[in-house]
Formats: sequence, C-alpha cells, structure tokens
Amino acid sequence: MAEVRVERLHRSFGEFTAVADISFTIADGEFVFFLGPSGCGKTTTLRMIAGLLMPSDGRIELGGRNVTYLKPRYRNVGMVFQSNVLYHHLSVYENLAYPLKVRGLSSSATRAKVEEVAAMLQISDTLRRGTDSLSGGQAQRVAIGRMLVRDADVFLMDEPISHLDAKLRAHMRAELRHLQKQLGRTTVFVSHDQLEAMSMADRIAVMNNGAVQQFAPPQEVFDRPANAFVAGFVGEPQMNILPVQLADGRAQAEGFSADLDTHWLARNRISPGAHDLGIRPEHLELSAHPLPGGFTTTLEVVEPMGPENLLTFTLGGRDFKLRRPTGESDRFREGDRVHLRAPADHIYLFDHATGRTLAQAAFTDRSHA
Amino acid sequence: MARDLTSVTSPAAPEAERNWWVHLVLLVICVVAMLPVVWMVMTAFMPRDVAKAVPPQWIFTPTLDAFRVLIVDKGMLGYLKNSLIVSVTSTFLSVTLGMFCAYALARFDFAGKEDVSFWILTNRMMPAVAVILPMFLIFKTLNLLDTYFGLILLYTAMQLPFVVWMLKGYFEDIPRQLEEIALVDGDTWFGAFRRVVLPLMTPSITATAIFVLILSWNEYAFALFLSGSTTKTLPPAVVTFAVNAEVSWDVLGAACLIITAPIMIFVIAVQKQFIRGLSMGMVR
Repeated sequence: MAEVRVERLHRSFGEFTAVADISFTIADGEFVFFLGPSGCGKTTTLRMIAGLLMPSDGRIELGGRNVTYLKPRYRNVGMVFQSNVLYHHLSVYENLAYPLKVRGLSSSATRAKVEEVAAMLQISDTLRRGTDSLSGGQAQRVAIGRMLVRDADVFLMDEPISHLDAKLRAHMRAELRHLQKQLGRTTVFVSHDQLEAMSMADRIAVMNNGAVQQFAPPQEVFDRPANAFVAGFVGEPQMNILPVQLADGRAQAEGFSADLDTHWLARNRISPGAHDLGIRPEHLELSAHPLPGGFTTTLEVVEPMGPENLLTFTLGGRDFKLRRPTGESDRFREGDRVHLRAPADHIYLFDHATGRTLAQAAFTDRSHA
Repeated sequence: MARDLTSVTSPAAPEAERNWWVHLVLLVICVVAMLPVVWMVMTAFMPRDVAKAVPPQWIFTPTLDAFRVLIVDKGMLGYLKNSLIVSVTSTFLSVTLGMFCAYALARFDFAGKEDVSFWILTNRMMPAVAVILPMFLIFKTLNLLDTYFGLILLYTAMQLPFVVWMLKGYFEDIPRQLEEIALVDGDTWFGAFRRVVLPLMTPSITATAIFVLILSWNEYAFALFLSGSTTKTLPPAVVTFAVNAEVSWDVLGAACLIITAPIMIFVIAVQKQFIRGLSMGMVR
C-alpha cells in the first residue's frame, strides 16, 4: 500500500523531451489512468515509476520512500505489459510462481499463494498447462496474476487489455475495476482509450506533449475540461471546436451563430473578440424548422448507430458532428438542409491562442458547484 | 476458436498432389550427394589391392587392415584426442564469450555499437591462407607453436564472429519486455538473463555450437602449420600418413571415416535441435 508522489519528473531522449517536468500525487488505493495519444509520455512516465527507465531529472516517491533511481526489484511494484508477456518455456504455474521464486519464498508458501491467486482469477484449471494453449483472455489473466502474487505496493498496467477483442475487453474492464477495489491497491493504468479511462478510473491524468493537461475525476474531465486538448480528446465523438468572433452576447463565424448568456459571459469575465467555441455533439439541437438564435447547414453524412444517429456537416472547413436519438433524427438524409442551435447552457469558450478553457459550460456550474 | 473441425471437410481443401516426380528428383540428388560418401566408407574396408584397382571393384571381402594400420601403427587415436580437446574447448569458449557479446550488441545502446559489430564481422573476411605466415611468426615468438592453448586460442578467435552474428539475430528476436517484466518481478539483470532469456535461446545456442564445432573439427590450414607432434589434429594428420610416395586409398578412406563419423553421428543425434535452432525466428 502506498501513495505515489512524482515531483518535477523529466525525461528526454536526445533532443526529444518525452516527459516535461510533471508533478502529481496519487493517493493510497487510488485507481489512476494516464490517458493520452501515443507519444504523449504516458508510457515513459509509467516506465520511470517501474524503474525500467531512469529519469533525466525529478523525484519519484512510493509510500514515502525515494525510489527515483532504484532498480525495479527494490521498488516493489507489479506490472502488466501491453502485449501479454508470459514465459513460454514455463507452465502457467511456473509463470505465476516466478516472482516468488526469485524472492526465495519456500515452495509450500509459493504453492499456497499461486493457488489463491489462480482461484481469484478463475484460472486454477490451467495451472498445469503450457502458456501456448491459453486463450487471449486466459493469458491476460496469467499476466495479471503474476502481478498479484506478490504483495506489490503499486500496480502498473500498460494498456493490458487493448489487444483483446471488444467483448472480452468490456468484460475485463469491469473485472479489473472490481479487482482493484477489492484489493484496494494503488494502481496506475496507461491507456489511449478514453472509454476505458472513463469507466474504470478514480481519477484521470490526461497527458499530451509530455505534460499533464488535467488530473481530475472522469466526470470532471468530461464536463469541465481544463483546455481545448482535453475537451477534444475525451468524448466520442469529440467536442466540436470552432473559432468565433464574440460581440454583443453573440458568437459568430461563417455559417454559424449562437446566442450566449450575458450573465455567464460577465461572470467568467469574457471580453469580446476572437475565441474558440466548443460544443459537444450530443448537445446540439436539431430541427427541420428554423430555430431562433440558431443556424442552417447541409448534412453531409448520416451514420446510424442504433439508438442514435451520428450526423456530420462542415463549418469553416472542419467537420462538425452531432449525435441525436434515432427517433428525432432518422427522417434526415444526406444533403438535407437542417436547422441547428447551440444552446447557451452547453457552450464552452477556449482561449484561441493557448487553448486554455476561459469559461466552462453553464450547466456544469450547477452540477459541480 | 477451436470448434470441432474434424467432422467437417472443407470444400476448398485442395487434393494432396501426386507429385511423384519430386521424390524422383530428390532421390537422384541424394544418390549423387551420397555416392562419394558411400565410396569412402567402402574404400575404408577394402584390401589394399582392391582400393587401388582400376576400374573400381564393387565386390570385395571387407577387411579392417586399414584401421589396424591407423590405430596401431600410426596412433590415430592420439590425434583424435587432440582434435576433441581443441575443437570442444574452443567451441565452448567461443559460444560462451560470443553469447555475452551478442547479447550486449542486441540489447544495449552504447557508443560505437555498429562499428564494433562490423569490426567483429571483418575478422572473418580475411582468408586463412593470407594470415597463416604472420600467425606462424606470432605463435613462434609467443612460444605457442604445438600447444593446445595456442590452437584453442586461435580457433576461439576465429569462431567468435560466427557466434556473435548468429546469436545477435536470435537475441534480437526475443522481446525485451520478457526481461523487463522479470526485472519488475524482482529479478536481477543476470537472473533474468539466466532464467528467462537463456532457456528461450537454448535451441539457437545449440545450433550455433554445433555449427562452430564442425568448423573447428574440420579446420585444416592453421592446424597444419601451428600444431606439432604433440598437438596435431586429425585433418593434417590424415594427410601426412595417407599421402606419401603414393596415396594409400584404403588408409585414406579409413582415416576419413574416423574423422567424419563422430560428426555425422553427433549431427544425426541432435538434428531436430539443430534444425529448430536454425529456423528459429525465420518461420513464424
């Protein structure tokens, strides 16, 4: 059991800075996600916590112990890799027993521990088998089991379920979440899949360009993104973001117009001028008739998703998406003229130059107040 | 998913080709390749006059005369012992040293890594005859002529490039993550190497060792110049006592059989390992 404290951690490879002076603290027992696109530094950070990569600068503490430059085996962390890494020359039992064997545990204690973990992961009947005969899900359980047999202070997982098929992945998501809560062990999970992060994490550290963009609980990351990058990365399909001119309580761009709440603008001290406006696809209102304070456009793509339809149109050279329930939207076809409105309550404003969030959508002020 | 496939015949399954002519071609190639070997074995058992006969005689009463000459009169077993000592020791040394060298080149980044790899390779580029004289002088100066140590040293150095380059490729095929997870699991660097990497490398290392052993066993040029009466290995020894004023074909045949038999028996015994090791990483 341990809290993870990272201070001004830095790592560069030659000219390239992979992780740039990041600091954060993960509480004991917390389930934290590093979420970001590939190359954002999330795996590099995880490898530095594991001790597989030494930092260029900074400090890492596990449970109050400075481990910054310690070898992996002195850190007492458990790890699961992206491709499930099993020792193919050993049986499942020997795979699970390996971490205990190298620690010099007696064979009877090893047996008890391995059987306990195997029972927990429901792989008891595979113990005698070779690793090549395992299914993808079983192999992943063995890899996770190898992490669990030791009383590791911190669990580290590097996209452990991203290569499984969709159904198994959904199952493993729920199972891992349950397991983590049951064991109450501090866990860091690296992923580029925001759905995984949203559904499993206690808190998400959204990373980009080697820096933590936002570190907050999933709903807050979704509802109150710290900047335009987080807004765009979290949410599927992503938030629509459009450069607009703000004047007289109205945001305008070519082919676009939206009325804003003047109290909200005043409260957030928004000055008129060029800003970026954000609105999530599910918040745009759609109608066959003109809407007051709305705008008109032509649908380019209609994608049925079952309960919902995903509609695409173009504004200022960018794709705009909206997502509406099927019953409301299935009479629209590609090429139809439609009327849309961005409700003032759901509009975000970002700084055009830095991407920083200037004003969170008004509806989130109520839920997060 | 493993469903019951045995009860279903796939309609697209092609019929087994009746390519008897492939077997015929293979048979012809085998006969052509094996004929000299068969002839060598036969010669070894021929009486002296039959061995010299022109045209060759296929029917004769086998005799062990040639072997008696070799083993009793010429002390062939002594040379066999020399060959064994030199080739086994140099194989062991070159594989052990080369294994670590290859591992370092495959796994770690260090300045001049590419240059080192290439330099190792260049050691094999010089033809043996070009360096025999300098080697002779060096050995003479260092008093290494006619010593096991000298020959073993030279063979080890000669085989290292082979070992390093063969094993380097095999090491690169083993995912680095296997060692990393072992390190996180609490193992030392060497423990991970010994418990995780080496077991996976066993077939490749075996194949490399067999390959190198055969090269050392057959080496002729250096052995001829650098060994003396106490350390002479089989290949130069055979020539000295089978080829005098005239070639004693029966003795030569018997000597060749004594040289090749251990290697042949050995390779037949380990051929599964050998082929598995050589094809590792090539077939996926």
